[in-house]
Amino acid sequence: MTFEIEIAGHVRTVSIENVGGVGPDGRFRLTIRDAANPGAEARPLTLDARPTDVGLSLLFADSGRSVDLAVTAQPNGEHFVQLPHVAVTAIVEGRRARRGGSGEASGSGEQRLMAPMPGRVVRLLVKPGDEVAPRQGLLVVEAMKMENELSTARAGRVREISVAEGQSVQAGQLLVIVE
Amino acid sequence: MKVLIANRGEIAVRIIRGCRELGFDTVAVYSDADRTAPHVRLADEAHHLGPSLARESYLRIDKLVDIARRTGASLVHPGYGFLAENEEFAQACADAGLTFVGPSPKAIELMGSKTAAREVAIKAGVPVVPGTKAPFGEDAPDALLVTEAERIGFPLLVKAVAGGGGKGMRSVAKAADLLSAVRTARSEAKSAFGDAAVYFERRLIGPRHIEIQLLGDAHGTVIPFVERECSIQRRHQKVVEESPSPVLRPDVRLKLAECAARVAREVGYTNAGTIEFLVDEQQNFYFLEMNTRLQVEHPITEIVTGIDLVHWQLRIAQGERLTIDPERALTPRAHAIECRIYAEDPDLGFLPSPGLVRGLRIPNGPGVRHDGGVAAGFEVPTTYDSMLAKLITWGNTREEAVQRLGRALAEYRVVGLKTTVPFFQWLVNQPDFIDSRFDTTWLDRVLTERRGQPFVAPSAADEQDAVIAAALAAWFRAHGAAAGSPVDGRGAWRWAARMDGLR
Repeated sequence: MTFEIEIAGHVRTVSIENVGGVGPDGRFRLTIRDAANPGAEARPLTLDARPTDVGLSLLFADSGRSVDLAVTAQPNGEHFVQLPHVAVTAIVEGRRARRGGSGEASGSGEQRLMAPMPGRVVRLLVKPGDEVAPRQGLLVVEAMKMENELSTARAGRVREISVAEGQSVQAGQLLVIVE
Repeated sequence: MKVLIANRGEIAVRIIRGCRELGFDTVAVYSDADRTAPHVRLADEAHHLGPSLARESYLRIDKLVDIARRTGASLVHPGYGFLAENEEFAQACADAGLTFVGPSPKAIELMGSKTAAREVAIKAGVPVVPGTKAPFGEDAPDALLVTEAERIGFPLLVKAVAGGGGKGMRSVAKAADLLSAVRTARSEAKSAFGDAAVYFERRLIGPRHIEIQLLGDAHGTVIPFVERECSIQRRHQKVVEESPSPVLRPDVRLKLAECAARVAREVGYTNAGTIEFLVDEQQNFYFLEMNTRLQVEHPITEIVTGIDLVHWQLRIAQGERLTIDPERALTPRAHAIECRIYAEDPDLGFLPSPGLVRGLRIPNGPGVRHDGGVAAGFEVPTTYDSMLAKLITWGNTREEAVQRLGRALAEYRVVGLKTTVPFFQWLVNQPDFIDSRFDTTWLDRVLTERRGQPFVAPSAADEQDAVIAAALAAWFRAHGAAAGSPVDGRGAWRWAARMDGLR
């Protein structure tokens, strides 16, 4: 099987072959290629991967190197991989998902401010029609007892406010549209 | 005998452990969000309080007292936060014939008001930070706020009279920002503590936050402990605490301890409490406030002195005399450091990151203590504080404790949430931290300079490992989901089920 894996904009193509044992209690051969340079020679890696209570235990066949990691998959293909000293977000089949997806209105200059976490709208700091500066606070959402002022990166005019003061919001819920 | 623990999270778990060690039965309480929380599962019995919102559950004095009565609990331990510093709760317990594990309602009222506490300190001959005498109520006119602020001078701090944990506190650099800071501080204080009163205090330059734990019994004995240094703060919230302070001179330690004990004696203080001081570069110190409860960071004191504070809280509440050797309480036997592990994304400005804990591996081994309040499978609610756990390490020296901390952090895995673990992994490698060159403004300053740069950047080898992990995860999902072609082994089934659950 082949997967496209993207980390910080850098895409690799990974082909996986189950070469010994069966399923997760077995050994795998992986070939990783840079998607930007598919013709380059790629040396296959052989490793033993097993599920653990928190994720995967990897043992590399050549060196015996042991990597104990946790991995969490999001519905959008994002995999949050926690290595011993660092965490990395890797997107599986991100280009395919984006090609097939509805596509966000990004080119039009419209900015949609979504709730980054679930919480409660404490205060609205702007109203429709207001001109706003980059990173100007648009509203305050309280989560885990802290008030967080939310803003958009670019300047614009507030077209729509989709929530009211006191309202509870879910992560990813649309709060404000700035155009 | 039974103890009702009027709290949740890691501190409820900590108190249950202490109760059990002394042979008390434990009664937990919980809100809708906490039915499967560790404190509920660990207690001997647990009773439902109400909806998740704190004011409908953990802040309901009537329900807590009623549950204590119904279950036959004779003691009530409030933990920290929620009703821990609410004199009405302490009084309601007393009125119902319950023993409140903490100071008297009068002491809570007096020391809980930050302005009244300052007066007590002045009376006890302890220096205080310049600030307003009387608090400003909700109806205080703007003109008065401005006049008083200008009298004290900028920069100043707007602080909730009932505040704590950095909530209801704002720093103001210039007069123009005063009124909006007062508004936010009030709004936060009102929702967190139910009291919108605020006061102003001069902000010292380059101060360290150093505090003295103490215990007082009903027979007039007050024992101060070796200090805790809590200068690593983000937005006035402690992030790392250590004991002893890496910089405090031994003679200043004794003076601080003596001043703390004087303040406590002045109000006939009983049970556990903490006096906070600001200490400037010349090691002049100023009384800041008193916390009339067990502190979040109490474990580091327990480790360096070998004295169990929760045990003593329970014993003092039952009228026992303190038999701790004062010398021992003031002599550190080790160096201990605590990190507060929050469900926050350090790379997104420490934005709260609540959600389901899908997996948890807790560090262990020599010199490590973990006081946690969540388990794998528990959904961290959005309603409460985002602290998941406290990771504490210790060693014979500070250097050893810091090395252990780095080792323990690398073992730590909280799966499913973003936590502050990567931030601490960055912190333990900072020369300023290693060499103890910091004050209470250090962390905020460094964070501003970093402008959101990630705390730990992956190497090329790390990226390769992540690519492999993500690809294998996708492979297993594809195979687990393919009906009729199951992969062998119980592990495979568990894996497939887990990956399914993630989609």
